[in-house]
Formats: sequence, C-alpha cells, structure tokens
Amino acid sequence: MSQVEEQLPELHFAGGLPGFPDVRRFVLVRLGDELSPFSVLRSLDGNTGDSAGPEFVVTHPALFFPDYEPEIDDDTAGRLELESADDALLLVIVTVADPVAASTANLLGPIVVNRHTRAAAQAVLGNSGYATREALVPHR
Amino acid sequence: MLVLTRRANQSIMIGADVVVTVLEVRGDQVRIGIDAPRSISVHREEVFRELEAANRAAASPASGALEGLAALRPPTERERRP
Repeated sequence: MSQVEEQLPELHFAGGLPGFPDVRRFVLVRLGDELSPFSVLRSLDGNTGDSAGPEFVVTHPALFFPDYEPEIDDDTAGRLELESADDALLLVIVTVADPVAASTANLLGPIVVNRHTRAAAQAVLGNSGYATREALVPHR
Repeated sequence: MLVLTRRANQSIMIGADVVVTVLEVRGDQVRIGIDAPRSISVHREEVFRELEAANRAAASPASGALEGLAALRPPTERERRP
C-alpha cells in the first residue's frame, strides 16, 4: 500500500484543516472503480505519535451540486497562488452516513487545490448561505 | 483573558504584525478591521467552530461504509429536478 502512495502526488495544507491543524500532507486516492465519484483524502501525518492520521471522503461538487459557485476569498487564493479559476481544483468533504444515500457534503468549507503546485487549503465561505451538511442525494 | 478598553479608530496590536482596529460602535454591534499577514487566517469564530465540528464528524469513516458509498452515483438531471 505504501508503495502506491509514494507514487501519488502529495497535497500540502500549509495551515492544516480546522479541527486538524497539525495534519498537512495528504494524498488523494480513488475510492472504488473509475466510475466512482468519490476519492479519499488520506493524511500522511499521524495525528498523535503512532496512530494513523485522519482521512476524508471527498468528491467533485459539480457532480452533485451543479449550481454550486463558491467565491474563494482573496487571502485563500493568494496563499495558494491561484491566478485564475482554472488553476484551482475544487473538492468538498463528504460526511458518510448510514444509509450512504443520506450522506452529506460540506459546501461551507470547500477544499481548494492549486493544480500546479499542489498547495491546498480548506476555504471558509462566511456569509455564503452554504451549509456543512448538504444532502448529496435530494430528498423525495 | 486580557481586557482592554478602546474607542472607535483605536487599535490593538497582536505580536508585531497583526493590527485589530475598532472601526465603529453602534448599539450592540462593533465593526472591527483586521490587518494580518496572509499566513494568518482570520475567521468569524462561530463559522470556524462549525467547520471544526464538521471536519471531525467527517474524519475517518468506517471502512464498511466506504464500500457502499463507492457505488453511489450523482443524481441524474431528472432525479434532481422531478
């Protein structure tokens, strides 16, 4: 497994993530087959000593929320050295529920990655009206 | 907690390069301006706490749940707008 991880591009969260300030290095690993819309953001930094660091399920928001248009603040864009929207890869963290169809996505704090440098951060969209738990699958 | 009294247009320095300025006081609302280096992120506390809680809740889901999730597909256009 570690052999596979070594070949994956490493994402670097210079400021950690809210709740996980010391976890900075992650790799993105596909979850399931090529058709799966989900990936796992797996930390390479243990949270405490020898225990494994956290991992997060992420997805491309455009697949589930086509109308989602977050405005990334200038500070985040500057910190990640984003010059245009095309430089950014946008991901959202999924909270997996039971049943899985009840899983939600965090649209308030999207993950922004500079495609070229792999610098990453979780943006905070204050006053955006987006929530941390938006249903992935609409309720009937 | 350190408590300081400031008037509008007066500031507080935190370290050498963070300046917090009281811009306006009106009723029970205070407008605050913050000058900080880019490496320091500034957030409304309640929003940041909400993100912390959301990240903790989302961290490291059970591997059994992941198998089912991998089969979940985005809703089609028709499912989304019935």
